[in-house]
Amino acid sequence: MTGQTETSILDELPGDLLLWVLIISELLVFGAGLGVFLSVRLTDPAGFAEAQQHLDRVGAALNTVVLISSGYLAARALQLRQAARRRAARLALVGAAALGAVFLVIKGAEYARKAAAGITYDTHPFFMFYYLLTGFHAAHVVAGVILLLVVAWRDTPDNIEMGAQFWHMVDLVWVLLFPIVYLLA
Amino acid sequence: MRMKRPDTLTRAWLYLLVLSALGTVAAAAISGGYDARIAGVIVLLLALMKARIILSRYLGLASAPSWRRGFNLSLSFFMLAALGLYLIPAL
Repeated sequence: MTGQTETSILDELPGDLLLWVLIISELLVFGAGLGVFLSVRLTDPAGFAEAQQHLDRVGAALNTVVLISSGYLAARALQLRQAARRRAARLALVGAAALGAVFLVIKGAEYARKAAAGITYDTHPFFMFYYLLTGFHAAHVVAGVILLLVVAWRDTPDNIEMGAQFWHMVDLVWVLLFPIVYLLA
Repeated sequence: MRMKRPDTLTRAWLYLLVLSALGTVAAAAISGGYDARIAGVIVLLLALMKARIILSRYLGLASAPSWRRGFNLSLSFFMLAALGLYLIPAL
């Protein structure tokens, strides 16, 4: 016996292991969805490009800025809580949640404009994927906003770290989804 | 008076803002008729860079180099596959 404890590579991971399992699972699900989207696009590239012209790229680009700024506040909240600055950490978490709500308002306005223009999921296969992928992501944003508010209330460092991890996963998925669905014509 | 250098997290956020702005410019170039293949490569490269920053700085993988390498490699393969699927119709 040397008295030394064996360390696993899993111990290197920051935060909660189960959250990392969730992050990897979500990345695989969205990655598969985006892969299928690009594969189906091969059958009708001109139709996909035409359909994409109906998307609001400016609103989506603005939403990217909103999400990465929200992620910044969530990451900052953890640092503040670890430095025992609870009030500032809570404010940062509420700010992050508020930006998440802004994302949903912009996304909701985008959906409303599509509905007003008579664009639905069966207008073109492009829109089926558009609603499926962005809708599933928006559902994660809703869950993330609730989670951020819960951890602002129950603000132990571990709770905040888990809430922030979930939120960064939402951020990460958007960073991959946005260029593929909105930008690649 | 010397300005204080922003900390690592703030720098990461600023890089993400700059990369997002560049991505939007590249998308505008695609809409403006610029070679979609080149602009597509740039858009996906910028997205990869953003994802790497989020993993390293927001999710804290900077302190877990072997995991960071694994995630970066997987994401790079995914982006390469996406680029391949995107470029096939243009060939």
